[in-house]
Amino acid sequence: MIKTFTQVDLIRFIYNETTPKQHHEIELALLCDSELMDNFKSLKETIKSLDSLSCSPSNSTLEAILNYSKSTNLHAAH
Amino acid sequence: MTNNELSDSKLVSLYIKGNEESFEVLLNRYKSKVFTNIYLIVKDRYVAEDLTQDTFIKAINTLRSGRYNEEGKFKPWILRIAHNLAIDTFRKNKRYPTIVMEDGSNVFNTLEFAEAPYENYQVAQDTKTKLLAFIEELPENQREVIMMRHYQEMSFQDIAESTNVSINTALGRMRYALINLRKKMKQHNIAYDQNIYPS
Repeated sequence: MIKTFTQVDLIRFIYNETTPKQHHEIELALLCDSELMDNFKSLKETIKSLDSLSCSPSNSTLEAILNYSKSTNLHAAH
Repeated sequence: MTNNELSDSKLVSLYIKGNEESFEVLLNRYKSKVFTNIYLIVKDRYVAEDLTQDTFIKAINTLRSGRYNEEGKFKPWILRIAHNLAIDTFRKNKRYPTIVMEDGSNVFNTLEFAEAPYENYQVAQDTKTKLLAFIEELPENQREVIMMRHYQEMSFQDIAESTNVSINTALGRMRYALINLRKKMKQHNIAYDQNIYPS
């Protein structure tokens, strides 16, 4: 019998916070339940959009960090 | 095995022994997560650059001095340093500066998109700006759980403990946050587009 899952279950599923057993059960349910699949797609799409806000520091900041690291390396050969 | 394939724990261990390249790998691995976390709190690119530098320098000093707790994991540790520095700065400033570039443009205008046509690029910038505004409009407890789960990569269990609520409450807040974001995105005709956000 296919279990019923909620949006909260799907959120845990998307963030890989389900047990392997739950994960498998949800995968199975998604194949059989079109409403659940629609919910999954909607949540997944919204979560994916959050990734678009990811950004990186400038090269000068990265160089400054690496230079600081090198300057504190007591193991470096002199 | 190259340095890029090594675990954080191994890289930390090599770095403590004097291997500089291992730190460069850790820096490249977490620079975006650290910077994004800070930026989403302070909303100022220049401040975020400074705090990113402070975060990694603090980490270097701790690793060099032998005070790093090897039982902890590097990722949550460095993200916690970043978060705490950003929160301290935000509290000191007590306001959100929203526009920071000299020409008045948004921080996301400086991001690069792989071979995206200009129209797509422009749409992506507008979408990012709107999305950021939508997150800011969320109730505090919903915004908090998004920040903690998505950008700090804390588990829902850790979020529950950190915010003194049950795991079901933390999950419920995430659910409402996503529903609210979705609603706002629909209202403004914003949809996730794989052509705009190449994976």
